[in-house]
Amino acid sequence: MQAAPPASLTLTHTGKKRKKRARWVPYLFILPHLIFFTGFLAYPFFNGLYISLFRYDYLQSSTNVFVGLQNYINLFTQGTVEFQEFWNSLWNTIQFVVYSVPLLVAIPLLLALLLNSKIPGRNIFRTIYFAPWVLSVAIVGLLWFWIFQSEGGLINYYLTAWHLQPIQWLSTQPGAWVSIVVATVWWTMGFNMIIFLAALQNIPTELYEAAQTDGSNRWQAFWLVTLPLLRPILLLIVTISIIASFNLFGQPFIMTHGGPPLASGGGTTEPVMLEIYNEGFVRHFVGGAAAMSFVVAVIMMAVSYANFKLFQRRA
Amino acid sequence: MQARLKYPISVVMLMSLLAALLTACGGGSNGSTGNSTGANCGTVSLSYWNAFTGPDGPYMGKLVASFNAANPNIHVTMTIQADYDTKLDTAAASDTLPDIAIINEDKIATEAFRHILRPIDGIMPALGYTSSDFPTPAWNIGEVAGHRYTVPLSIVPMTMFYNVDLLKKYGIDNPPTTAQEFAIAAAAATKDGNHGFQITTGFPVQQIFQQLLHQFGGTEYNSDATQATWNSPAGLQALQWMKDAQAKYSAPKLEVDADVNSFKSGQVGMIWNGIWQATNVTGDGVDFNGMAGPVPQIGPDPATWAGLASFALPAHKSGVNQCKDQAASSFIKYVIDNSLQWANAGNVPAYNKVRNGDGIKAMPLQSSLAKSVENPVFPPAVPGIADAFAPLGDAISAVMSGSATDMQKALNDAANRADQILAQNRQKYGSTPSNS
Repeated sequence: MQAAPPASLTLTHTGKKRKKRARWVPYLFILPHLIFFTGFLAYPFFNGLYISLFRYDYLQSSTNVFVGLQNYINLFTQGTVEFQEFWNSLWNTIQFVVYSVPLLVAIPLLLALLLNSKIPGRNIFRTIYFAPWVLSVAIVGLLWFWIFQSEGGLINYYLTAWHLQPIQWLSTQPGAWVSIVVATVWWTMGFNMIIFLAALQNIPTELYEAAQTDGSNRWQAFWLVTLPLLRPILLLIVTISIIASFNLFGQPFIMTHGGPPLASGGGTTEPVMLEIYNEGFVRHFVGGAAAMSFVVAVIMMAVSYANFKLFQRRA
Repeated sequence: MQARLKYPISVVMLMSLLAALLTACGGGSNGSTGNSTGANCGTVSLSYWNAFTGPDGPYMGKLVASFNAANPNIHVTMTIQADYDTKLDTAAASDTLPDIAIINEDKIATEAFRHILRPIDGIMPALGYTSSDFPTPAWNIGEVAGHRYTVPLSIVPMTMFYNVDLLKKYGIDNPPTTAQEFAIAAAAATKDGNHGFQITTGFPVQQIFQQLLHQFGGTEYNSDATQATWNSPAGLQALQWMKDAQAKYSAPKLEVDADVNSFKSGQVGMIWNGIWQATNVTGDGVDFNGMAGPVPQIGPDPATWAGLASFALPAHKSGVNQCKDQAASSFIKYVIDNSLQWANAGNVPAYNKVRNGDGIKAMPLQSSLAKSVENPVFPPAVPGIADAFAPLGDAISAVMSGSATDMQKALNDAANRADQILAQNRQKYGSTPSNS
């Protein structure tokens, strides 16, 4: 407290002043984003963590009780209602990720390769393939519901017209997953395709010319030139597709209502986001829903990390 | 140029922000001055919410308009809300609930405990209704923890829709009313690629199960709703009947609405669904003679699954406004007394005087169902009861879709999970709505 003032007071004083200015100016630049980040991400995050330790309902403040880790313990105790429904819905979501992500990478890549070649009317095709992306999930869900529905739906209409056995797409497995994956791929492939297309256009043509001179065919050029140069974009596409597929909600909500149901509770296409929504906003067990969200968030972080590591090792 | 442009924009933004703040404050002060309890209330404005998003909405709109015309001192503004429960929830959190709301039977207790609704004992003398004016279950479900929260308006029962032309073709001239008649009619029409009866694996199979459970003498829960009892012999009998009917007459593994869609195609004799499908599958909705009537009674006891729309008064942080309550009670009384007009929308009036009156005789569907709503199957009036039904819905659907084959086990498992949910709900809600 009573330390002697430093010898070169004036010097440090001016130096401090300069440093001080330099210190707060950068913060001023990030302030606009910081405000929104704190208000809409950081605060909800920590508040959610706090709420997950309570039996919580925002309309019943008098009956909110601190329960410690009980909401988390319920999720990891076999035999509780939460255990069955949560892990079932998480397993459903993981299945959906496994079914949809390979298709959401392969099909857009193929389309991008086709539409990157000089074919007549390619701009029209690019627009057509991208078009579904602008639709909302409600429209996509309803559209495919009417295509897949078993009594008079478009697909079953043609199946019966060709004397084939109609399929109960939306109320049996694997029909329900097929319907949801087809709807999702049709809806979102355009976005991935556009990113691939932009990346393909960035690959210098000299590389292909060089490959041709060295005697490689088109297949070899794809494996040895295109794919390695697409790796960063591929990582991006895989990561955002996994995250987007993890957030599955609207398509089963509209097309199958989470069904076909399981006798042990929940449905076979009920995604974890729908389960969290039900727990928090239908049952009003907001604390339990917050706990579920955090378990899912940790899993998603682990998956994204593994994803980055995997692509790094190959590089 | 840019700087000059930016300036007005930010001024406009600021102004609009200020304007929003000012109107918010203005609204607040208006609310508090309106709190006078004197007889002279001036013109009272009431907001009224419901979820009548279907063809029923305009019918309610007409009633509101005629009430407004007859009462120059009261102005009711109706808002039809989709995703109704969420809207009530968020409005409660921001204290912007309407003055009057329609509430469904399975939400009354939950929303009373969650402070969305308030007791209406105060306006009951002005309304003048008593328990003898309504079917007993419809009246009783509006009482939560010793206080009245709702007054019944209209009942939407499970209804049988039948294709008169198709049934006639196979020699069935009258719609079946008993289990034997139903079996004969359904079997007769299950020929040549037609189905005598279609039953899905989703909605409304849980409701059909509840109806049959009560007809065979069972109940969903014990008397204080602490335990699920649908795994009783009556429950097994009900589910077995449904499974048999599906195997004998229906296409297998139908999804939600497939019963309605296939009925509309003209190749189905009978379906059981909510009365709200009436405009969709009868009259001009189909190009054959589609009719509607009561569901045949399969078991020994009369029982019909039904939904119930009731009037309720939502809670406000500013407390009770006598002027608004007076106006609200005269509006509620007007609509219930005139619920014959509302019945045109496709429902059965809950008010005995209207349901058993002369006017209803001009409505063949409503008068044919007037009897079946005397024994409606309603859930117990405990908070969170809708959650406890979820395992039952899963179990019934799983059995109907064939993914579960041991019916007793499916019902037992569902009852076990429902017991857990009921225990959690008791812990969460307590026994009386506490003041927050």
